[in-house]
Amino acid sequence: MTFFKKSTVLATVAMSLSLAALGVEAKTLRVGVSNDALSMDPIASSDNPSIMTQLLIYDQLVHPSKDGTKLEPGLAESWKVSADGKEYRFTLRSNAKFSNGRTVTAADVVYSLKRAAGEKSQWGRFFRPITSYEIVDDRTVVMKLDQPFTPMLNNLALFSASILPAALMEEQGEKFFDKPVGAGPFVLEQWNRGAKQVFTRNSNYWKEGKPAIDGAELQIIGEDNSRVLKLKAGELDAIVGVPFNQVASLKSDNSLNVGIAPVFRAELVQLNTSKKPFDDERIRRALNYAVDKDALVKGILRGNGRVATSSLPVMAYHNDDLKPYPYDVAKAKSLLQEAGYSGGLKLTLLVPSGSVTHRQVASAIQANLREAGVAVELQTIEASSMFSTTKAGNYEMALSYTTSDTIDPDQLVGFTAVNPERANAFHTQWKDARVNELYELERRTLDGPDRGKMFQEIESRVHDGAPFIFLYNQAETFASRKNVEGFQVLPTSNYSLEDVTVK
Amino acid sequence: MISPVARERWIKFSRNLNLQLGLFMLGLLVFAIFVFPVLIAHDPLAVDFDSALIPPGADHWFGTDDLGRDVLARVAAAGLVDLQVVTVCVFVPFVIGSTIGLVSGYIGGVVDTLLMRLVDILWAFPFYVLVISIVGALGPSVGNMYLAFSMVVWISFARIVRGEVLLAKRQEYVQAAQVLGFSHIRIMARHVLPNVITPAIVFMMADVVLTILGVTSLGFLGLGIQPPTPEWGVMIAEGRNFILDGWWVSLFPGLAIVYVGITFTLLGDGLDDFLRPKG
Repeated sequence: MTFFKKSTVLATVAMSLSLAALGVEAKTLRVGVSNDALSMDPIASSDNPSIMTQLLIYDQLVHPSKDGTKLEPGLAESWKVSADGKEYRFTLRSNAKFSNGRTVTAADVVYSLKRAAGEKSQWGRFFRPITSYEIVDDRTVVMKLDQPFTPMLNNLALFSASILPAALMEEQGEKFFDKPVGAGPFVLEQWNRGAKQVFTRNSNYWKEGKPAIDGAELQIIGEDNSRVLKLKAGELDAIVGVPFNQVASLKSDNSLNVGIAPVFRAELVQLNTSKKPFDDERIRRALNYAVDKDALVKGILRGNGRVATSSLPVMAYHNDDLKPYPYDVAKAKSLLQEAGYSGGLKLTLLVPSGSVTHRQVASAIQANLREAGVAVELQTIEASSMFSTTKAGNYEMALSYTTSDTIDPDQLVGFTAVNPERANAFHTQWKDARVNELYELERRTLDGPDRGKMFQEIESRVHDGAPFIFLYNQAETFASRKNVEGFQVLPTSNYSLEDVTVK
Repeated sequence: MISPVARERWIKFSRNLNLQLGLFMLGLLVFAIFVFPVLIAHDPLAVDFDSALIPPGADHWFGTDDLGRDVLARVAAAGLVDLQVVTVCVFVPFVIGSTIGLVSGYIGGVVDTLLMRLVDILWAFPFYVLVISIVGALGPSVGNMYLAFSMVVWISFARIVRGEVLLAKRQEYVQAAQVLGFSHIRIMARHVLPNVITPAIVFMMADVVLTILGVTSLGFLGLGIQPPTPEWGVMIAEGRNFILDGWWVSLFPGLAIVYVGITFTLLGDGLDDFLRPKG
């Protein structure tokens, strides 16, 4: 035993000496986040924490650029789309490797995308337009479509289109996700559910010299204040989600950098249009007029956001001509009266528990609507059961939000405006024939101004139909210590750690 | 003309500092809850972002919370809500529990065995676990909170009263009443009850402390009274997120709970001394 101890000490000393000699020191980035991931399976995830971890460990054919305006090469070094939009040819990088050292091949691509389009996938509709694959050689794959499908390329940049090692998956089945192997910049080394995720650098990552750090640790800290205090105390190097009321004071702290990321996100109140009185458009519009959105942005977000005009975030093809519903209690009252509800209205609002901002907003909406003669009862509900509750239609109003995982508006149009679709206009059951028609059309139209006009018309119809109370587009806040460089939240709400350096 | 009994009671009261202080603090509390809201012009529900998180000062004695609502007005309004809830949550179990204890102890036999096994079963569960699971299962609302507390707390009263009844049952005055042929109901109500209820009344005061903590804990967890109705536990939970730049939001409702706790502990101790016969 003594011998063992001694040898350990010797080894440690020797190692630290050699590292010191080289001037190298293991650099690990510790990041504080609010929620833990649920699953590492890209086709079975739709919660943001799972998506963000998957984007660290898996890689896709293409990526959104950091500013969220275009697509960049990922595992595919180049691609070509045929003129009729029915054939996509991808050429893989020769140095694209999984973390276990195996090369990423065309067979892996076909396997992963077929799986993503399969029966078990929650994201099938994003990939089913691909009707056949052709493996030309190990590095070249051709995908064929029956008809043009413009969102295709962006969908291939989704986390759900992550390329997994086919042979290993076949061999391990579902157990693969206990110790997943990907081609992303990091390897998930250890996962203590609810506590932390530990990553090491993927030394086989294709991008030269990246990641710049040796490892990363995501610590799950639900309490906003604890996260901030740990960052201040130097127990964390970076955090995501700075409470809005603390942004100003953290900005004046010389040891910290504070960032405000304008992410593709929209905060909404879902209105269940299959229930009375929400079947009446006048009621839905009245509710929009009755909420003072400017006060929410100023008072709760402390200016870190803007008032929303529709359920779509401010992203590509955003309709700039639309103006938010102004705060107008008189107008709201007269619309309510017109609809026959002058005698007052009693409604319930579902509020996800755990979110400080949502709790504040709910109280403010409640106070606002009281002015307009609408009594609102708040019902706090476990955040994780929110989606299934609204999906089942057991609600009147629900405070929620959407974020876009792609840089193309198609995803959220399909999610929040189209019915029937995956979520039937985000569980509001609102139906607009013209929106459905435009959605079909948009997907067959080549990307460009014409397609943009379709999105703008959709957005304006959603605005007028008001299946939601449109609240605001909230920015994501993050902070890091001064010795950390390059930590930022991307427009798709995730964070890339491969360019981060720790001094 | 003061009767000797009243005179003796007055002497007993004048020497009972706990009871005096407890009653004084209770009076102050009632004053604060009923008179304060009239004196201060602030609406406990009015949201005003322009006056969010103002520290305690001349305008807002206890400051304002994150939505610009006056903390003093809310603490006072919450006091009314909390004391109402606590009154129901203590009084209903007191009545139910004492009655069951009385009947169980007096009748004895199979009835007593069955009721006391039921008490044992409920006793086996930790108080909070049971209350939280009942409210959690039925959904958060004031009605369900009343139900949960009533279902859980009565066992303490039943146990206390039953124990006293078992002793009183063997006393000569009860046996005399039985020999005289009075009905069982009359004997229980007129002869036994007045002699066994004192410990239950004293326990009621201790139970107020337990219940105020229970009710505010449920509020803190989001299972109790729902916003925007002010409630001390909810206020502490809401203020927790602003503890770094608005300590007053959580502090004052917290102090209010401590104050109520001390008041009823003193009252319980004082009543115990006052009501229980010496020797």
